[in-house]
Amino acid sequence: MRAEIASLAEAMERLGYIADPAIATALFLAREMRRPLLIEGDAGVGKTEIAKVLARLESTELIRLQCYEGLDVSTSLYEWNYQRQMLRLRLAENEGPTRKTADEIEDLIFGRAYLLERPLLRAITRREGPPVLLIDEIDRADDGFEAFLLELLSDFQVTIPELGTIRAEHVPYVVLTSNRSREIGDALRRRCLYLYIEHPTLEKEVRILHARVPGASAHLAQEIGRFMQALRRRHLAKMPGVAETIDWAQALLHLHREHLDKETVAETLGCIVKDQNDIRELGGGELEAVLAEATG
Amino acid sequence: MSRPDLAGMDGLVGHLARFAGALRDSGVSVSLNDEADGLTALTLVDLGDRDEVRRALRTTLKIRPRDAARFEEIFGRMWRVGSTAAPDHPALRAPRLDRPPMRPKPVGGAPRPRRSETGVETAVPEGGEEPGYSPEAVLRRKPFEECGAADLLAMEQLLARLALRLATRRSRRRVPVRGRGETDLRRSFRRALAHGGEFLSLARRARPIERPRLVVLCDTSGSMDPHARFLLGFVLALRRVARGSEIFAFNTSLVRLTPWLRPGRVDLVLDRLAASVPDWSGGTRIGECLADFVAKYLDSTVDGKTVVLILSDGLDRGDVAPLAGAMRAIQARARRVYWLNPLAGDARYEPTARAMAAALPYLDRLLPAHNLESLARLLPLLAA
Repeated sequence: MRAEIASLAEAMERLGYIADPAIATALFLAREMRRPLLIEGDAGVGKTEIAKVLARLESTELIRLQCYEGLDVSTSLYEWNYQRQMLRLRLAENEGPTRKTADEIEDLIFGRAYLLERPLLRAITRREGPPVLLIDEIDRADDGFEAFLLELLSDFQVTIPELGTIRAEHVPYVVLTSNRSREIGDALRRRCLYLYIEHPTLEKEVRILHARVPGASAHLAQEIGRFMQALRRRHLAKMPGVAETIDWAQALLHLHREHLDKETVAETLGCIVKDQNDIRELGGGELEAVLAEATG
Repeated sequence: MSRPDLAGMDGLVGHLARFAGALRDSGVSVSLNDEADGLTALTLVDLGDRDEVRRALRTTLKIRPRDAARFEEIFGRMWRVGSTAAPDHPALRAPRLDRPPMRPKPVGGAPRPRRSETGVETAVPEGGEEPGYSPEAVLRRKPFEECGAADLLAMEQLLARLALRLATRRSRRRVPVRGRGETDLRRSFRRALAHGGEFLSLARRARPIERPRLVVLCDTSGSMDPHARFLLGFVLALRRVARGSEIFAFNTSLVRLTPWLRPGRVDLVLDRLAASVPDWSGGTRIGECLADFVAKYLDSTVDGKTVVLILSDGLDRGDVAPLAGAMRAIQARARRVYWLNPLAGDARYEPTARAMAAALPYLDRLLPAHNLESLARLLPLLAA
C-alpha cells in the first residue's frame, strides 16, 4: 500500500473517522486527481462524515448544499437582494437634479453588494484557499439540477448575466453523496470518482464505537457490534447504519447499561429500528434470536 | 484533463484497455474517460499491491454495486500481481483480440446518438411488405398472437406515435410562463429596469409538465411468448419519450435489460434481448424474480415519480408469499403500480390464477394488454 494512503487513513482515524482501505484510497485519489468524489451507500454509513473529516484535515471551511426536489439556481447559486435593490432604486429617484441614466442605475444595483451568495457560489469565490463543498443527497434533486451541476463541476465557473463570468478562486474539494433513491445520471457519475460504502464489518464497527463513544466498555462495544451485525442479516426495510449504532451506544451509556439484555433492548429499540413494519417483524421472538446471536 | 506520461507504460495502457473491453463485453458500462481516469490512478497507487489496484480501479471506473460482482470476477481473471510486467501472458489476454484497444469514440461523455436513429426512420420495410395496406384500425385491434414480423414493423411506427402522447404531470421546478402563474421577482425586476424602475408588468413562473419515469418488468416465459415481443416493443417506444426508464425481464431469474437497449430496429433489439436473457421462453418464478428486483434495484430505480409496469399473465405455480411481499414493497415506493395482463383482454377473464390473486391487493390497476388499442388506453394512466 502507498504510504500516503496509509497515513491518510491514520489521519482520519485521529479525527474519529475509521476509514477502511477502500475509503482511504478513494479519498486519496480524489484529492490527488482534484476530482469530485461521489459517495453512495445506505443511510447512516458515514457518507456525509467523510466531507466533514476532509474539511478538518485540510483545515478549511465546509460549505454544504442540501439537495431537495425543486432546488434551483436561486437557492443553490445566487439571488439578488431585491429589497435592497428596490430601496436603492427609490433613493436614486429622489436624489434630485442629477438624474441617473438607466445604465448607471443598473450598474449600481447589480453590484456584488446586492448579491446573495448561495453555497455553490460561495464555494468558488472563497479567497482563503479551497473549501470543501459538500453536495448532500444529490439523488433528491432533479435531472435539471444535475445537468447544471455537471457544468459547474467541469469548469468551476458560473455566469451571472448581470455581472459576467465568475471563475473559481480555488477549485474546491467536492464531495457528493447519494442514498440511491434514484440513479445518478451517467454523465455526472463519470465526472466524479466513485465510492460505494458498505455497512461496516464487525471489527470496523467496534473500532468506530471505541473512537466515537469512548465511554463504552470494550465488552459493551462488542455486544452492540454483534447485535447490529445480526440485525442487518434480517430482512429489514430500513437497515440501521453506523449513525444509529453510535446513537444507541450513547443512549445505553446515559442509561448506565453495561450489557445488553431483553429489557434494555426493548426499551431502546427506537434508537436503531425506525420503521413500524420492522418493529412488528422483530416482535414475534425475532428480537430474542438477534440478542442471542449477539450475547451468546 | 492531462494525460499521464505514457512512456514505459504501454503494457499497462494496453492491459487496462483490454480489461475495460472485457468489462464492456459483460455489460458493465465503462467509457474512454473512465479508462483515462483509471490510468491516472494507476500512476498514483502501489502497482505491487493488488488490492490497492483493485480499489483504485473500482473508484475510477465508477463501478456501481450491482456491477461489483462482474468487476470482481473479471478483475480476478485479468489482474495478477505483476501482471502489468507481462501483459502478453496467455492468461491475461482479453477474449476479443480483434478489437483495437481504444476505439475512436467521442470523448467527454458525449451522449450516444440514440435519437438520431429512432425506429421511425430506420424501420423501413423491404420489398412488398409495405405497411400502408394494413389499415391502422385493424392493426390496432389485432391480437398480438396473430401478428407476424411485418405487423411488428408497422406497429412499431404506431407505437412510436402513441408513445408521444404519454401523459405527464406537473414538475416542482418553476419555469417562466406567460399569463398565469406566480410572480417571478428576479425577472420582474429585470423588466422594470428597462422602464427606469417602474413595474409596468410582472413576470410569472409556473410548474411545467413533467414526463414520468417508468420501470417495466416483463415476463418472458413460454406462456407469454406471443405477447412479450409486442409488449417489449411498446416499452422500447415508451423509452424514447420517458427518459431514464428501466427495463427488466424475468422468467426463472431476473435480468436488467436497460444496458442492452441500443438504438435500432425493435425486432433486432428484441432478437438480441432474446439471446441475452437466460431461459427466454422458459418457465416462470414471478415471486422470486420480483423479490430479487426489490432487493437489488428497487431503491435505485423506483421513487415517488416512478410508475411501475408489470407485464405478465400471472401463470406461475410457485410460492405466492414472496410475490406478495415484493408487491407490497414496490407499491410502498412507487407512484403507481400497473399490471398488464394479455389474458385480461378476454371478457370472461377473472384474476384467479394464484400469483395474480396474490398480487391484486397491491395493484393500482389490472389492465388488459392483448392488442395495440389496449396499450393506447394505458398511456393516460402513466401520468398522475
